[in-house]
Amino acid sequence: MKVSLFITCLGDVFYVNAGKATVELLERFGCEVDFPETQTCCGQPAYNSGYHKKTKAAAKNMIHTFAHSEYVVSPSGSCAYMFHEYESLFEGEPVWQEKAKKLKEKTYELTQFLTEVLKVDNTGSEFHAKATYHTSCHMTRLLGVKEAPLKLLSNVKGLEMVELPNRESCCGFGGTFSVKMPTISEQMVDEKVEHIEETETEVLIGADGGCLMNIGGRINRKNKPIKVMHIAEILNSRGEV
Amino acid sequence: MPMHIGEKEFTKRVDKGLEDDFMRGAVRSAQGRLQTNRANAADELGDWEEWRSLGQEIRQHTMENLDFYLQQLSDKIAELGGHVYFAETADDANNYVSEVIANKNAKKIAKSKSMVTEEIALNDILEENGCEVVETDLGEYILQIDDHDPPSHIVAPALHKNKEQIRDVFKEKLGYTKTEKPEELTLFAREKLRKEFLEADVGITGCNFAIAESGSFALVTNEGNARMVSTLPKTQITVMGMERIVPTWEELDVLVSLLTRAAVGQKLTSYVTALTGPKIEGEVDGPEEFHLVIVDNGRSKILGTEFQEALHCIRCAACINVCPVYRHVGGHAYGSIYPGPIGAVLTPLLGGYDDYKELPYASTLCGACTEVCPVKIPLHEQLVKHRRNIVEEEEKSDLAERLAMQGFSIVAGSGNLYKLATRMAPLLVTPFVKDGSISKGPGPVKPWTDIREFPVPQKQRFRDWFKNREKGGSERAKRGN
Amino acid sequence: MPKGEIKNRDKFLNNIATNLGRERRTLGVARPRWKNQVQWNVLSNHTEDQLVDVLEKQCKSIHTDLVRTDQENLAQTLLGVIQGYGGKSVMTWDDPRFTTYHLINPFESWKESQNIAVHQWDVENGEESIRIAEQADVGITFSDITLAESGTVVLFSDKGKGRSVSLLPATYIAIVPKSTLVPRMSQATREIHQRVEAGERVASCVNFITGPSNSADIEMNLVVGVHGPIKATYIVVEDR
Repeated sequence: MKVSLFITCLGDVFYVNAGKATVELLERFGCEVDFPETQTCCGQPAYNSGYHKKTKAAAKNMIHTFAHSEYVVSPSGSCAYMFHEYESLFEGEPVWQEKAKKLKEKTYELTQFLTEVLKVDNTGSEFHAKATYHTSCHMTRLLGVKEAPLKLLSNVKGLEMVELPNRESCCGFGGTFSVKMPTISEQMVDEKVEHIEETETEVLIGADGGCLMNIGGRINRKNKPIKVMHIAEILNSRGEV
Repeated sequence: MPMHIGEKEFTKRVDKGLEDDFMRGAVRSAQGRLQTNRANAADELGDWEEWRSLGQEIRQHTMENLDFYLQQLSDKIAELGGHVYFAETADDANNYVSEVIANKNAKKIAKSKSMVTEEIALNDILEENGCEVVETDLGEYILQIDDHDPPSHIVAPALHKNKEQIRDVFKEKLGYTKTEKPEELTLFAREKLRKEFLEADVGITGCNFAIAESGSFALVTNEGNARMVSTLPKTQITVMGMERIVPTWEELDVLVSLLTRAAVGQKLTSYVTALTGPKIEGEVDGPEEFHLVIVDNGRSKILGTEFQEALHCIRCAACINVCPVYRHVGGHAYGSIYPGPIGAVLTPLLGGYDDYKELPYASTLCGACTEVCPVKIPLHEQLVKHRRNIVEEEEKSDLAERLAMQGFSIVAGSGNLYKLATRMAPLLVTPFVKDGSISKGPGPVKPWTDIREFPVPQKQRFRDWFKNREKGGSERAKRGN
Repeated sequence: MPKGEIKNRDKFLNNIATNLGRERRTLGVARPRWKNQVQWNVLSNHTEDQLVDVLEKQCKSIHTDLVRTDQENLAQTLLGVIQGYGGKSVMTWDDPRFTTYHLINPFESWKESQNIAVHQWDVENGEESIRIAEQADVGITFSDITLAESGTVVLFSDKGKGRSVSLLPATYIAIVPKSTLVPRMSQATREIHQRVEAGERVASCVNFITGPSNSADIEMNLVVGVHGPIKATYIVVEDR
């Protein structure tokens, strides 16, 4: 099965290990992974800030980039969902809308792809830690991927999962919200960190770079002894912490 | 700007909210309870999603035929001897109500909870006219006694106050002598207000849903004050937003069922009171004279636009009860009597972008509001549409942001420029890196690093790793053959 | 009653039509058949006895007592509940069902034997009736339709069926003939809808009452008993 990886900007620049793990994981389950070089950012920062005309350049580039892909897989639910927004972005431009629809239909978030397309519930991974999982809003509510990551994590050998209180409440990232309304964002991420501490776990797992950057950034600022990891890193792990 | 509450500046209102520890504690615990109750009530029904779809379908049909149903409603009411006034503006509505009251030579007015009368600031006008207006919903009563503190939630208006504060207000203003126990405070209000109900010349109510087919309207309450207001005074005036209508009693059932579950997790509230015209000849209680005021006040401008669904709102506050932003800033920060996600959508529509342009940005677009809305209003999508209008039609975004987005657009639109930019990133931030992290970021990164560490861009980007590996990988593959 | 006035309607409704981008609709709009009609699934295959069980269970969450009895023991049961509320002054509807259920004679006898004064809503002395109801310890009405799911009694106002009886007294008792039970609000509103379609005038006040009044306006603490009755009991009577 041929899979094109949509790495996302945060994945390309900051969370390189999560990207590596994603590739290895997909290959382990028989996928032939390619990385279309012309990919950029999905345009979400501009789109969600209201700059829809300015989002179109990024969207068109992405549509071109993945035009010939069989499947597009991304280690971020939020960025994968942005591909779903292209159709309404090109309202009134039927040719682009049609292309956007095709892209949407073949785009998956990583855990969604593993469970829905590859039919994998158990990645045969091993990771010895006590951990909790933050459900990212866009992935859960907009893309509708709720069970897949939890199912996959529940089958990781050695991993003890503790449910995060108020698991589905937003971490306060919200893209440009985090810098437009920093004082509110701060309160939200602090509450998230409080809940993570309540679980008394050593690892926070997430499936979205934005949320991890936000929560991780706050955890580091407060010097909390909690490791922040992308779910791909856990699922690709073979025992080492 | 009658809808407006509090300081003019959004940031000042937010800061005030963030500093109010009691309010935040109260909101936190109220949200917890209300969320659990709502979720349980939805689960219990089993097919909640189908219920939501049904609610959405009903609201859509009604809004698309609003002129027809309002005509039917008003014809039926007139047939029964009630009077109907169509008010285009807040002033029109307030003038009409004032006239009715003046004609009756009425002095004391008992009111049950009504958001639309808050929206048009009816009380201010009536008080200017020399009337004594008594708010009889317990929450509204507390706020009124406390020098007209504005509501901070559309279902629980005094959510931001604790029982000690309420005790003190009652003590200072009404000579209350007992403790802060909610039971004692409530009993005190019952006794005070019972007298007011019996003495009131005119009763004013809001309207949860008017029923077009029979000229009826329903009030959904728990305390019984709306029943009092519609049972004892000789004249009754009901004020409704023009969108608060259903075709028949069968749709009333569905929307009330959705409302009470979504609002408070109850199967039905203690009282759903459906009133039809003035009292019938020979009946003892109920009003002799009945007036319905149907208010537009900016709503018709929303019809036929991409925001039409905002008019589907049934004012349950479920979106407010799950909103993580409301949770920390409280209702007053929105500067409008309609707070939370629905407030952030509706307020700029009714009050304009000039005064409310920040509200659509007061959201992380987490979608929790959309998920719980019992009539499926895509609230977070509407917030994005507002942002687009503010940026592209109103051109009200700030210059630095516009320039940044211009740059973003160019870079994200070109694979080559993007590659270059991501390769430059580590070099650009090098001066700011300390111990493998960025604690004090430059320019646009500063608001981020005021609160959190910023990660350091990796020297070897993912794409570099993949490229190198591809070379090695293909060799590996060859060896394998 | 003379017809009421309608003011400023055409301009208002024409504006709505314009904004909706079409001609004004004054005739011929019919409700579509809604795609989802899930409301009819609720408790749909329950027998009357099962509905009483549902009602009884629901009463626990609405702070309402439920007592089961038959016609023969109704007066005695009623007396017990009134005494439990410490009731000395009682107000009832002027409703023929009090006669059908043989309650008039016991009511009269209680004045002497129990020191309980039972007043009947009197249209001829309206103001006095309201005054008595306001002072009464207990208000008693029949339920016209009873909703099992939510624990709701539906009361249609009428001349003898004053709104105040279920509202002003400190406590409230609803006599619930078992035959009035339906699964939920949908059946009651459908019946009203059908009556409207048949050209009937709806009662000036239809009350859906679900237990005693309450409020959670102070720190979300539930306080039972605000402006309406503070306590409530439903007496379910076998009637066939």
